[in-house]
Amino acid sequence: MVGFGAMGQTNGFDAWVTGTTSLMMFALPGQVVLLEMLISGSSLVAIAFAVTLTSTRFVTMVVTLFPQLHRRDRHLGLYLWVHLLAMTAWALSMRDFPRMSPRFRLAYFVGLGLPCWLIAMPGTVMGYFVAGWVPVYITLGLIFINPLFFLLTFTEVKPWSNRLAVLLGCVLGPMFYKWDADSSLLTTGLVAGTLAYGLDRLWLRGKLGPD
Amino acid sequence: MSMADNGWGVWVALSAACLGTYACRALGVKVSGQIDQNSEVFKWLSAVTYAMVAALTVRMVLMPIGLLATVPVWVRLLLCALSVGVMVSHPQKRMVPALCTGTMLMVTYGYMVN
Repeated sequence: MVGFGAMGQTNGFDAWVTGTTSLMMFALPGQVVLLEMLISGSSLVAIAFAVTLTSTRFVTMVVTLFPQLHRRDRHLGLYLWVHLLAMTAWALSMRDFPRMSPRFRLAYFVGLGLPCWLIAMPGTVMGYFVAGWVPVYITLGLIFINPLFFLLTFTEVKPWSNRLAVLLGCVLGPMFYKWDADSSLLTTGLVAGTLAYGLDRLWLRGKLGPD
Repeated sequence: MSMADNGWGVWVALSAACLGTYACRALGVKVSGQIDQNSEVFKWLSAVTYAMVAALTVRMVLMPIGLLATVPVWVRLLLCALSVGVMVSHPQKRMVPALCTGTMLMVTYGYMVN
């Protein structure tokens, strides 16, 4: 988000616009697409469509996370809490939920997601105003933390089908990106995920025994 | 850059982007109410999601926007490989040392080049 603030500043956007995207969208890839398309002067409909397309991953992220919550917690309030869902809270919750009693899972998720969301806007605004006077090598280190962290969480992914999906996603992702950038996350997910699931079901599960 | 001349357009686009993003999250909540976590559909969707998230991460490393793009791709890949190496070097996973390795090396690289 600090890096995103710097991006907004260097492209001449308002600090309010830049900060509000972090607060209200809270989805970095979508925010980057929004800014890029505004810079290139795309139409409103095209912007809305492209951003929504990059956010389709949230549908399955929620669908894989929320059924693990306690039945008592699966109420309308989730429509509020779901806004806190982003990569970090999702990755950590997916890792830790299986070791946790279902009763505590919602509290754990909110405890992770709320601070992430609350610091997103100050972080963005800070990035906006410090861009230019913090040495470049410090900024470089800061923006590298994000992808590195996600990469490292993949080493802890558990069932084989998901490990295979990560691997195939890493290989196919760049290929689909070259083909069509905006829809590439969706197409990679569907192709690599289905392939991984199929291979696991047909081959690995039979070999390693049922579960 | 003439975004200031066209202030309202930016806010309209921003509102549309917010709505689209929240709609995806809300749809997830709606669908998740009908899915059992032990079903085959759930396993398939998990694989799809992990593949999407992996593609997103690889995109951030291989095709970054802005400052990270000024770092040669082999340096980015090398630092990732070293960090993952630290991470898996011990059965008791080493998240913090691995993160520090990658970040510090990136800062060092930036310092030497600039």
